Amino acid sequence: MLNKITGHEVDRRLLLKGAAAGGLGIAGATMLAGCAPGAAGPLTFGARTVDESPTQQLQGLVAAYTAKTGNEVAYNATESNAFQNNLSQYLQGTPDDCFQWMAGYRMQFFAEQGLLEDISDVWDDIGDQYSEGYKIASTGLDGKQYFVPQSWYPWGLHFRKSMMAEIGMKPEDIYNWDDFMSALGELKGQGLIGLASADKGGWEAMGTFDILNARINGYQFHVDLLGGREKWTDDRVKEVFRHWEMMLPYQNTNVLDLEWDGAMQLLLQKQAGFFMNGSWFGGNFLEQSQEDYDDLMIIPFPEINPDNGRDTVDAPVDGFCVAKNGGNPDGGKDFIKFAGDMEGVQAMLDTGVPMTSANNGQDKSSYDAFQNAQQAVMDEAKYITQFLDRDTRPDFAGPIVGPAFQSWFKDPSSTDSILESLQSQWDALAPL
Amino acid sequence: MSSAAPVEKKPVRAKKLKRRRTFSRADRLTLGVFIGIPTFLHVALVWFPAFVTIYLSFTYWTGIHIGDIQWAGLANYENIFFNTPIFWDALRVNVVWLVWFGVIATPLGILLAYQIDREIRGHTFYQSAYYLPVVLSLAVIGVIWNFLLRPDGLVNGLLGLEISEAVSFFGDDRYNIWVILTMASWRHIGYIMLLYLAGLKAVDASLREASSIDGATEWQTFKKVVFPAMKPVNIIVIVITIIESLRAFDLIYIIYGSSGGLPILGVLVFQNIAGEGASMKGAAYAVILFLLSIVPIVSYLRQQFKEDVS
Repeated sequence: MLNKITGHEVDRRLLLKGAAAGGLGIAGATMLAGCAPGAAGPLTFGARTVDESPTQQLQGLVAAYTAKTGNEVAYNATESNAFQNNLSQYLQGTPDDCFQWMAGYRMQFFAEQGLLEDISDVWDDIGDQYSEGYKIASTGLDGKQYFVPQSWYPWGLHFRKSMMAEIGMKPEDIYNWDDFMSALGELKGQGLIGLASADKGGWEAMGTFDILNARINGYQFHVDLLGGREKWTDDRVKEVFRHWEMMLPYQNTNVLDLEWDGAMQLLLQKQAGFFMNGSWFGGNFLEQSQEDYDDLMIIPFPEINPDNGRDTVDAPVDGFCVAKNGGNPDGGKDFIKFAGDMEGVQAMLDTGVPMTSANNGQDKSSYDAFQNAQQAVMDEAKYITQFLDRDTRPDFAGPIVGPAFQSWFKDPSSTDSILESLQSQWDALAPL
Repeated sequence: MSSAAPVEKKPVRAKKLKRRRTFSRADRLTLGVFIGIPTFLHVALVWFPAFVTIYLSFTYWTGIHIGDIQWAGLANYENIFFNTPIFWDALRVNVVWLVWFGVIATPLGILLAYQIDREIRGHTFYQSAYYLPVVLSLAVIGVIWNFLLRPDGLVNGLLGLEISEAVSFFGDDRYNIWVILTMASWRHIGYIMLLYLAGLKAVDASLREASSIDGATEWQTFKKVVFPAMKPVNIIVIVITIIESLRAFDLIYIIYGSSGGLPILGVLVFQNIAGEGASMKGAAYAVILFLLSIVPIVSYLRQQFKEDVS
């Protein structure tokens, strides 16, 4: 009943295997895609960001599309939280022809409601540029495609190389929980914050929960828990919070006063050793300076249970959809076909904003050190999950899990009652 | 229309009837348009959505296709009352808010109005200064105070605190509610002050003179003479205080978003009805909030009008 991403083993080997073949196929594919210039007419595009770097990237894509096809694209940007909150209304009203969205459950939900355009024919054209895992992530419950991936990023422990060098710590050597705890202790001994953390937005801490649960209890349990097939009151979930509690003394105390970018500042300003987050914020470091960006590095979250090793990673996929109620669905399709094709991907890469594309055609030899490290985090994992709020019911993740984790931060000793409450709230959800 | 009652017995009534009969076609048309259109709009835009919300609160629905609505009975309410701890947290915050406004902010506004009405030195300055925040919406006030108090904001900057050591004005449960209430009061006090000032200006000065000639103290004059004379304004102030405390939303939304950082009912309504997480639990929250606001107000007004009649 949950979704095919979490229910399905998205094998990273599948994700990556196509890379080599993709590189060869690129030239041909580029010629195939987007070969009807001007036919689609003017269209509108809805961006779910107002941040500097991603905007620059998308504007680059739009400009390249217009230059190639002569079709005007009206670019409408909305701040991402507002965009998310309004999406239902937006899609039922007069949405942009195509818009930025997320893979997995979040796309499938709207596809099920008949608000997204079936773009299977786009996949017929550009599908060979993507490995199977991405196709699965772009597929609705009815087996048709509704989504074109743009980029991915892993969640992991980020740190600054220069800072670690000063301290004399080798984060690359942190393999398991004990290594990690002693590293945190050492940082604390130096008067630093071990792990920069935020949860004011109510979602930031979900990444930490995901990885702890996957490390301790394994991928399958994690997926089953989010799918309602396991109970939150299970002792195994309590174990997750027991480990989380061990990390608290090394975190900043104002977790509930910081949003993700506040915690990022702690890393940027070298007040904190590690920052558990998605690697997307590399762009923010680059906005600061090239030097800050080059200093950034990521390692996988440490192993806790040797049975599971470091076999799972949250690696959300962002991309594009076409709205059914848009004025020009053909235009929308034409645009996202271009965006998904290596030609569009290249236009985004040419803006200089770092991106790890989902397209096999991106030359991985051009990856910088940080991107290579992200790839390494992916390579080590066998199972890919999206993120808690993309892997479980939306009426559970945002309104229920978010506040529950926040109240846990207020009183970590209340784990049992919080978990009981989570389970009873899951049980009381509207039937699907 | 054609009453058989003798004209002498009910002259007033007869007069009214007679006058009503004199409406011309044009009058009726005008009245029909002037009353009919606003009534239609009011029913369509206020009553219709209100009743639909009440209906939906008894259903399961994701808010997209009408055909998907399923009857849920009391399930959403049971869920809120028995399974959702954040509801009680939010209710507590709303009650604290109401008590704070009722006991501190509103009386303070009245006090300021009274002082300014007595034209203490510099009263025009005070008047403008206190009224200034009222021209700002609560959303704007949220933005301003957020700039001041967030971890990388002005206040923590002036205190020379790094983000990690910053005073957690919005994150620490021990005092975040008081920070928020101070922000909200900043505007509310000025609002009440202005309302009350307008009322005070309308109180006949001879009333006060008379009471001071009778030897009443300042406080007695206010309590026994001015305050009762201001009854209509008092009712408005009380109703506004209740409504402002219960409908609180914008300030919290600006600072915490729709996350549960400082839960209040208004945000719970929004969180459960907007976006992907939409369920009719949000409608049930809205109904609860509606009842909480309307019941005390209606009963208060009824009691007041009953007193007027007797």
